[in-house]
Amino acid sequence: MNDLLTKRKVTFSSKRVLIAILLLFIGLGGQETFAQNKSLITGVVSDTKQEPLVGVTIQIKGATTGTITDFDGKYHIEAAPSDVLVFSYIGYTSQSINVENKRTINVQLQEDTQTLDELVVVGYGVQRKSDVTGSIAVTKGEDILRQQSFSALDGLKGKASGVNIFTNSGQPGGASRVLIRGQGTINSSSDPLYVVDGVMMSDFKFMNPNDIERIEVLKDASSAAIYGARGANGVILVTTKRGLKGSGVNVSYNGSVSLGTMASYMDVMNSKEWIKAFMIGQENANKYQGKDFSLNQKDYFTDPNLFDANGNPLYDTDWQKEATRNTWSHNHQLSIQQGGDNSSVGAFLNFTDQQGLMLNSYLKRLNAKVTYDADPTSWLSTGVNLMVNHTWGNEAEETGGHQMPRRSMIEMVPWMPVKFSDGKWSNSTTVSDELGLEGMANPVHVLKTQERMRYRTQVFGNAELTFHLLPGLDLQTRLGIDAHFRQWRDYSPTDLSNISFPNGRATIEDQRELLWQEETFLTYMNTFGRHRINAMMGMSWQESTYRWNWSETEGFSDDFYGTNNMEVGTIPKPPRSGFSKWAMNSYFLRGSYNYDGKYSATVTARIDGSSKFGENNKYAFFPSLGLAWQISNEDFMQNVSFINNLKLHTSYGITGNSEFATYQSLAMMGVGTTLVDDNRVPSAWPGRLSNPDLKWEKTHMFDVGLDIGMFKNRLNFEISYYNKKTKDLIMPRPIPNSTGFSSVTSNMGQITNQGIDLLINTTNITNSDFSWNTTLNMNYNKNKIDKLGENNEDVFTGPNWVSGYQTILRVGESLASFWGYEREGFWTEEDAASGKLPAGQVVGSAKRSAKKKILGKGLPDITGSFINDFTYKNFDLTIDFQYVLGVDILQQFTHSTEDRFGLTNGDKSVLYDAWTPTKKNPKTQAIRNAAQDAGQSSELDSRWVCNGSYLRLNMVQLGYTFEPELIKPLKALRIYFSANNLFVTKSSNFRGFDPEGTSQGSDKFGQNMFFFQYPKPRTFTLGVTATF
Amino acid sequence: MNIKNIFLGFISLLLTGSIISCNSFLDENPKENMSLGQFYKTAAHARSGVNNLYSAGFMNFYNANVYAGATIGWGSYLSGLFDNEYKGQEVIVQYSHELTISEANISGQMNSLWRDCYSAIGRANTALKYIPTIDDPVGFSAGEQESLLAQAKFFRALNYFHLVKVYGDVPLILDPYESLDGIYMKRTPTAEVYTQIIKDLKEASEVLKSEAFTKNGMRVSKTTAETLLADVYMQMSGYPLQENHYKDAATAARNVINSGKHSLTKNIDEDQQSAYNILRMEDNLTEYIFSKERTTSTSGFTSNWTQLSFPVYAAAWGIFKYTLTNNAFSPMPTIVNAYNPDKDLRIKERQFFFNSYEYKTDSISKFKAPAPWLYMDEEAMFETGLSGKDFPIYRYSEVLLTAAEAIAQSEGVTSEAVGYLADVRSRAYTKQTKEEIAAELTALSKDDFIKEVWAERLRELCLDHKIWDDVQRTRMYPVTSSDNKGVVSFVNVIGAKNPFGATFQEKHLLWPISDQELQRNPELNQNPGYETKD
Repeated sequence: MNDLLTKRKVTFSSKRVLIAILLLFIGLGGQETFAQNKSLITGVVSDTKQEPLVGVTIQIKGATTGTITDFDGKYHIEAAPSDVLVFSYIGYTSQSINVENKRTINVQLQEDTQTLDELVVVGYGVQRKSDVTGSIAVTKGEDILRQQSFSALDGLKGKASGVNIFTNSGQPGGASRVLIRGQGTINSSSDPLYVVDGVMMSDFKFMNPNDIERIEVLKDASSAAIYGARGANGVILVTTKRGLKGSGVNVSYNGSVSLGTMASYMDVMNSKEWIKAFMIGQENANKYQGKDFSLNQKDYFTDPNLFDANGNPLYDTDWQKEATRNTWSHNHQLSIQQGGDNSSVGAFLNFTDQQGLMLNSYLKRLNAKVTYDADPTSWLSTGVNLMVNHTWGNEAEETGGHQMPRRSMIEMVPWMPVKFSDGKWSNSTTVSDELGLEGMANPVHVLKTQERMRYRTQVFGNAELTFHLLPGLDLQTRLGIDAHFRQWRDYSPTDLSNISFPNGRATIEDQRELLWQEETFLTYMNTFGRHRINAMMGMSWQESTYRWNWSETEGFSDDFYGTNNMEVGTIPKPPRSGFSKWAMNSYFLRGSYNYDGKYSATVTARIDGSSKFGENNKYAFFPSLGLAWQISNEDFMQNVSFINNLKLHTSYGITGNSEFATYQSLAMMGVGTTLVDDNRVPSAWPGRLSNPDLKWEKTHMFDVGLDIGMFKNRLNFEISYYNKKTKDLIMPRPIPNSTGFSSVTSNMGQITNQGIDLLINTTNITNSDFSWNTTLNMNYNKNKIDKLGENNEDVFTGPNWVSGYQTILRVGESLASFWGYEREGFWTEEDAASGKLPAGQVVGSAKRSAKKKILGKGLPDITGSFINDFTYKNFDLTIDFQYVLGVDILQQFTHSTEDRFGLTNGDKSVLYDAWTPTKKNPKTQAIRNAAQDAGQSSELDSRWVCNGSYLRLNMVQLGYTFEPELIKPLKALRIYFSANNLFVTKSSNFRGFDPEGTSQGSDKFGQNMFFFQYPKPRTFTLGVTATF
Repeated sequence: MNIKNIFLGFISLLLTGSIISCNSFLDENPKENMSLGQFYKTAAHARSGVNNLYSAGFMNFYNANVYAGATIGWGSYLSGLFDNEYKGQEVIVQYSHELTISEANISGQMNSLWRDCYSAIGRANTALKYIPTIDDPVGFSAGEQESLLAQAKFFRALNYFHLVKVYGDVPLILDPYESLDGIYMKRTPTAEVYTQIIKDLKEASEVLKSEAFTKNGMRVSKTTAETLLADVYMQMSGYPLQENHYKDAATAARNVINSGKHSLTKNIDEDQQSAYNILRMEDNLTEYIFSKERTTSTSGFTSNWTQLSFPVYAAAWGIFKYTLTNNAFSPMPTIVNAYNPDKDLRIKERQFFFNSYEYKTDSISKFKAPAPWLYMDEEAMFETGLSGKDFPIYRYSEVLLTAAEAIAQSEGVTSEAVGYLADVRSRAYTKQTKEEIAAELTALSKDDFIKEVWAERLRELCLDHKIWDDVQRTRMYPVTSSDNKGVVSFVNVIGAKNPFGATFQEKHLLWPISDQELQRNPELNQNPGYETKD
């Protein structure tokens, strides 16, 4: 135990401080002040539904004394007849009442609808919006729901300033990335922390959007530092729906049906064009490489199944059309909310079926959520929340570089049919002519016969007890769990060329992840005259365990069994499994003080300990300070009538990032098996160097912002500037490979993100029939690497294939910088004549710079949205634009759509923009048939890169709300029609489907880099919302 | 109900709880893997550590990829004597043929070669440090501990040998790194690296069992170590060191030959039962002194070399159990013309190479360039899609040729030297007896005899990817012509033109160190001729 005490010194000393502050609180809470020579006034304060309000502040105007209501809403105070009592309560409009001769004063407080005094959810509690010193973006559940997207993240997109959500795939449940105020990490996760009803959730993507009441995004240090070591990427606080506040029953249904269509196609060659390009290639080979190829088309295309006697193609297949479909999706949400005297119940059910554009891809979700809230006694409140979420679906493969359908629907030659007349599937090699096409299964065959099922079950719940200790003082304790059970079941049949031919392949992977969290904290809110205090302190324990199992078998003689009987496969692979665990222990406090409604200060502090860190650095301290000045409440502003809200706020603080793999500080042995004497034998090797000093990534963040409300809030303007410096980046520090290791996980380097968040909200027109609101949302972010390792050496971490590493980390540059050659032109006949053509090079091939350079970057400077809402009588119309500026795209697919012609089909540019001696401004290399004469030289060069800026008409929605009289017994009914992704304006040099994307999966450097995409649909939705 | 009592009770409960749970709550106890401190405690640990070396570093350079060929073949590309149908995307082939390789344009390949060799060396160093500390008399069989150490030394030497051939001076590191102390190491002179290689190999050779690799549980044996030692001495005797160790090479090679553990595979016929076709199909012959082992009997260890036996377009015939094929090591005419088609069995169709294939009745496809038949595994190609064929690293024929050259250099053209060359040649020249061949060779001068050995090495070992090693040490480049097939002359490689018209410079005899490693280690400098001027 002595050992333990010294080791955990930080913990114990911090605990002592906590206890001291705790006791102080109790003392404060007990303080009550009585004036003399006055009479005793009593009464009850309630809300408009006659519910007693606990903790309402009652003050005598002009004095510093006051009291608050107890658990039954009762109060008593000494006051003189001439006094005025002021009743104030967070979230409600204050009321002033002259005492006169009354002895009993009962008051009903109205809920405050003014945005200024809106309550904002902050970590471990709520704050008045006017008291907030940080930058917090608030989004309501109904705004998220409007788009009827599968994922809440898609609905949140463009609604919160400074929150960049990249929808990187059109696949249902496909990849997306969330970056709050830029990317401040290299090797750790850049995802924000998701906290749902106070419990940290590890995978938020599949949550039902309808369960969400509101989302607060904590962006700056003053608000996020309360989450200490996990707050550096920002925090997304989700509050879910509960039972009805007040009494009664509310049943509502929200349903929609959507039709999705392909929004664009890539411009690939048809059969005739392909053959024409092939023949030019043969001609070029004769001309520039001294070959002696026949120039007669008939000599190459002779297979009678595919060509006529003249070598003309019999088929012209549009593979993009064949491999995709129009989709029908539907979404049903049922909410039942009940409220009673001391308790409320909520039940929420969801079924969503979303089809994907690529054949056979879909995702379905069944979601149920139950909440129960009660106040069983005057000193105790309780709440329980349980959610079970199950999704399942077949996915089309989105990562990797082999011939999966998203690629083969571009590359498959057009003169091949989907199936031959005998019912047999074609593939690229079902041709008897010696053309040398690269082997690939046809995309329709793959999509229709390959199984890639993804099952995910999430059980998420929490139970909380709130003890009302004293007026204003609550003790809350909360136990939460977030459990994920995932299963991947993949089967590839025995006839899929270049995928699973000839042996078939069945794979099952199971993952189980369980996080539990226990948090206990005290909150204290009170007002003493002009002083308003909102304080909180507490402690937290969390533990997360992750296990996985994997099994794979090949050698199937029949495709009947799939993944259902793995024993049938004769070539089993060794099974694999894994285990990891991390734990955190934290202590935190926040004190918030406001004077006279004008000056606010918030101090937060958190001590976090994590198992992931080195023995010498288990605990760290994360403080923040925020200040705000409500200028509009100053006397000198009272005459400036057009400004109704003017607030200046600033904050500084430190947050951390600990989202990286476990056990990185330890020197671990890698273990496995290898082959000796035809047998599998155990094998072990030193896997990495230890780093006992490994510690947190720390982000130092400065924020200053101005909120302006003018003309009775018809014009709202919020702007904030931030500067985020992330130091001690956890990353693989490159060390000489001669050590036997490539890197050691270290704290090194520094990244700065600085930028501006801007939100402008205007009510342009408002009258009884017609209103028009506009929201302009913008984030400007500049990302820069300030420092790297000891020698500031370049670090290469991105995808590594054509031309080696395709991204670079270099001091002075942005993260996600593309790394390749400049294309300087083409080698010409003149070069050949003058002897300048290098040995081995061919006329018409690309001329490139000698050295590689940075060709662009995948992280945008500016992102935002421009949303207009109109209402006319019962009609409403929303027009939602989203835009991205100052970014590039690395079109990795150029490697195969332009540089591998002859092996595959390619872009029309191969035929129409290729170099010839007379071509003006050629864009692609002279045609060379890859399989006939070694093909183009393919390197990552500037031809691959284009501007990635775009403007998207994200959504147009027209709704109609029926008059309540017409629809009885329904309480409310709205129908709507919406069209999503109607158009995208983009660079003319962009040759893919959609400028927003990546095919690098979760690779943090992969943003805006893609090797083919899952297309994004254009959807048309008809929906109804009804309340019973 | 007294609220304060409840509250205080609750708080004290929580604090007690927190103190209890604080006990080791944040300790890390990995269960997937052991930490280094937990490892190297038992005989089983020692075995695991050494087993790993059979699939680390240099050993992985024999893994084939249908597009890229194999790392062991990079020298074959740099020699300009082999082409790859996927040259357009496999840029190292293109830059090698243009002789425009630089620290930047093949940085990825150079980085991985360097990294893989040093990773294997680091693993060997760890094994060598900890195995002697293991006290497990029950776990180890007699002599096993020493044998494991000897194997580790062999693999350390093997990886350093490759590094020194590829890069010249390289940092010589003999202790495992366990912290960041001393990570910036200067390049050690080539001669010192060789001294250490010889020390390791001699120590290994003293302990390892005298047995053929294929009869020693596919573990390196005394003859494997001696073969490598002979090769090392040959390299040291040539460029760049030019230390005359031919006598030592001869001794090492004779140790192998006189051990009686190895023999040349014999021709049963001159068709599909020729020695070469038997080598193509069989893994357990005593001709093999060291191989990269592959198998189909357990999943995950198959070979892809058979996919390199057919041109790209052949995959479309639809007759293979592979979707992709690629003639990734297509011999250039220099090689084809090195064989005398009238005499040499190896150049006959379907021995080393083949030029056409009848893939269905009456459909004979003639290839545009010869493809390596020696890599073809029929069962894998037509039935299973899985090849378990081992790839030879050292064959007995190489030892014989090494002995012939080393003896000629140190003792003159003796009948022993002539006999060894005649052994290898007579297997191919089936129309001549060994005696007839020996008689022709005996008449040669020492220089001419040695050139005959080089020519024979070209013919016999080209598909084992040994050519570039010979060019490096001899600085002689083979020249042949279609008019005089079977005659190989040698010219100074510096100034020689490769078949693509590019001219070799002295710098090409070493490869550039990758720009990444140079950045990581400020103590390193680039090989001459590859320095970049900024």
